[in-house]
Amino acid sequence: METKKVMWMLKKDLIVLWRHKPRLMSLILFPIIMITLFGYGMGGTLDNIPIVVVDQSHGAVTDQTLNAIKNMSLYDVKGIISDPEKGREMVESGQVKAAIILPPNYDNLTSPQPQSVVMYVDSSDQMASQALIPTTQALFSKISGQLGLEKMQMNSSGSTASSQISQSASNQTGIQVNTSQVSSSGSGGIVASIQNLANTINFQVDKIYGDIKYIDFLVPAVIAMTVMMSCMMGMGESIAGERERGELARLFMTPTNVSTVVGGKIISKLIIETGRALILIVAAVILFGIVIKGSMWLTLLLLVLTALCFVGFGIMISARVSTQEDYVQMVMPFTMPMMFVSGVFYPLATMPWIFQKIAYLVPLTYANDALRAVMLKGANLGDVWVDVAVLIGFTLLFFAMGVRSFNRDV
Amino acid sequence: MKYAIETFDLTKKFGDFLAVDTLNMKIENKSIFGFLGPNGAGKTTTIKMLTCLAQPTGGSANVAGYDINESPNEVRQKIGMVPQLVSLYGDLTVRENVELCADFYGMPRDLKEVRIEELMELVDIKYAQNKLVRQLSGGQKQKVSVVASLVHQPDILFLDEPTIGLDPTTKRVLWDLITDLNEKGHTIILCSHDMYEVELLCDNVGIINQGTLAAFDTPQGLKDTMIREEEDTKKAKLGTIIDKIEQENPIGQESSFKDLKGAVADLERENGKTKQMSIMVSNLNDKMVDEIQMLPVVFEVSKHHSGRVIMEMDEKCKTAVNDVIWAVMENNGNITSISTKDPSLEDVFVKVTAKEKEE
Repeated sequence: METKKVMWMLKKDLIVLWRHKPRLMSLILFPIIMITLFGYGMGGTLDNIPIVVVDQSHGAVTDQTLNAIKNMSLYDVKGIISDPEKGREMVESGQVKAAIILPPNYDNLTSPQPQSVVMYVDSSDQMASQALIPTTQALFSKISGQLGLEKMQMNSSGSTASSQISQSASNQTGIQVNTSQVSSSGSGGIVASIQNLANTINFQVDKIYGDIKYIDFLVPAVIAMTVMMSCMMGMGESIAGERERGELARLFMTPTNVSTVVGGKIISKLIIETGRALILIVAAVILFGIVIKGSMWLTLLLLVLTALCFVGFGIMISARVSTQEDYVQMVMPFTMPMMFVSGVFYPLATMPWIFQKIAYLVPLTYANDALRAVMLKGANLGDVWVDVAVLIGFTLLFFAMGVRSFNRDV
Repeated sequence: MKYAIETFDLTKKFGDFLAVDTLNMKIENKSIFGFLGPNGAGKTTTIKMLTCLAQPTGGSANVAGYDINESPNEVRQKIGMVPQLVSLYGDLTVRENVELCADFYGMPRDLKEVRIEELMELVDIKYAQNKLVRQLSGGQKQKVSVVASLVHQPDILFLDEPTIGLDPTTKRVLWDLITDLNEKGHTIILCSHDMYEVELLCDNVGIINQGTLAAFDTPQGLKDTMIREEEDTKKAKLGTIIDKIEQENPIGQESSFKDLKGAVADLERENGKTKQMSIMVSNLNDKMVDEIQMLPVVFEVSKHHSGRVIMEMDEKCKTAVNDVIWAVMENNGNITSISTKDPSLEDVFVKVTAKEKEE
């Protein structure tokens, strides 16, 4: 008897699920989307980080170094330029994550002084900089070792010759360094040789935004994500919930346009979410010592714009659904994947190209980018205008679609 | 303006389902109109279209002089609606809910305050004005709903099953309120399944069935129409029965009269058109009962020890009650009480909606 009752409850739930197609679609699509994003996103390796190389020397050592860099899957060399300042600017503007500056004397192996290779790295991208610094350090350490060995061989033979170095370590990274000419004083002795061996390349890292902790990297995106989640879930309660309880009907009995009701919902939600964002920022500052390098007002403006955008998204989805449950099931396939695609926890560079392209279709990506730029790099409105423009565009699109498709019938 | 509401081929479709089918009706200004129909007949959908809560898929309607398609906001300003399900903010107090409505109707502050006070006193809900709506009983919520719907002084008030689930006392309070409002010049559209309520309050009644208007008249007019229709049907059937009896029995025999009475009684019962009458006679005897039994309008008599005589009689015969009283008095009977049961609006409703179903 009890089994029959339990079976009936199961049967009832399955029938209800079958009759609510949005819920059914969500049930099927949501896990597929999530496992795909997790698998490709978090389970993948960090590859194709955009960098630029500044080549000021032009020679065989430079060529081989460039080849070694290009052959590594970690790097996506966006250009080889000759101006170090331009390289730094490219990092600051976000075009690349790092600039490797090869010095003017890079091909001069006769110099007793070590060549200084500098890497400007965008330390606001925690994951990218964490991957770039040790790998690049290891690369130049190997190059340095190879060059030092060659110098020693040349010193011991006391002659000028061409040689080719190929070592097992370099094979692993694809590095082959050829030197066309190495001069030696011939009388430097063992001490000089050892010194040269030790100091062939001096690798320096310049974190252009200083030492940024993971929490610093995480906070701007987590704030944006929190605003997104609360706006989207809140709109479900605010519109679909009120529609379900008949409360919205009371407003629509009065001489009130849909745009007025929607406008009122937006303003109230916006004020509440701005308050929530302020609490988040204050908590981050007090608890984790977060420093906002840019303007506080610009940060707030961006958060308000982010809230506005996702309130619009919520209105668009809730415009036609009649129950809160349907609404939640319909937004789930958008909210969760959006968190992973938009680079909240890890950089877009770790994802397959198709997801990197999808990221550009997701408003949260632009919100994260702009907030990180302002909070971590001290960017101003001029620096983030593209993100702001895209967010405004999304917002207008969502509102237009939401108001247009809003079902006034109760 | 003679009519508060006029509909012109008003239609609403949900996919392939035709909920309201080219509805045409006129509701007089300052009247109480009862809108009846079985469940799913299109009653609430019609009300939603007339109150601009749902868009018609065809046709139009004039409500308070404005077209519902062209001037919905003007219509909304002129009407009030007490919906079937209470649509108030549960987490707001009674007063906050009413103030919200008043502001949505654009009422000036001073007028709003006066009106809210007046209405709260009228429906006797002022004592609960600071309570959250979700803490109120069903009857209290309905009262708040009425206040919220009347706060802007609408010309037309729609009430969709306003007394459903209310106790008899609260029902009567609401009925008095409806009558008062109508006397003050409001047109009332009352949707209800309570036939007694409709018969008690309404000047006119419309019965909608399967999306079309099946009947429209005063409650008495509807009953009269039903009686006339049934008389016509009965006459036709009775003619056939009399012919049959005459053929089988020579005229003048007692059995033929009894047979005829029995056949008519069967026919009336078949049609459900007998009237029950009950009289209490202090000195009841068998002769009196026989006299009553012999009356042509009386089909069946049962005698009780208490002195009560219950009889089934021809509902349409206007002298039936007089005939029975005369028969008792001729035998020196003392009648102490008398009661009859007339056809009700409910009978009309059942007949009209059943007829539509058959068709």
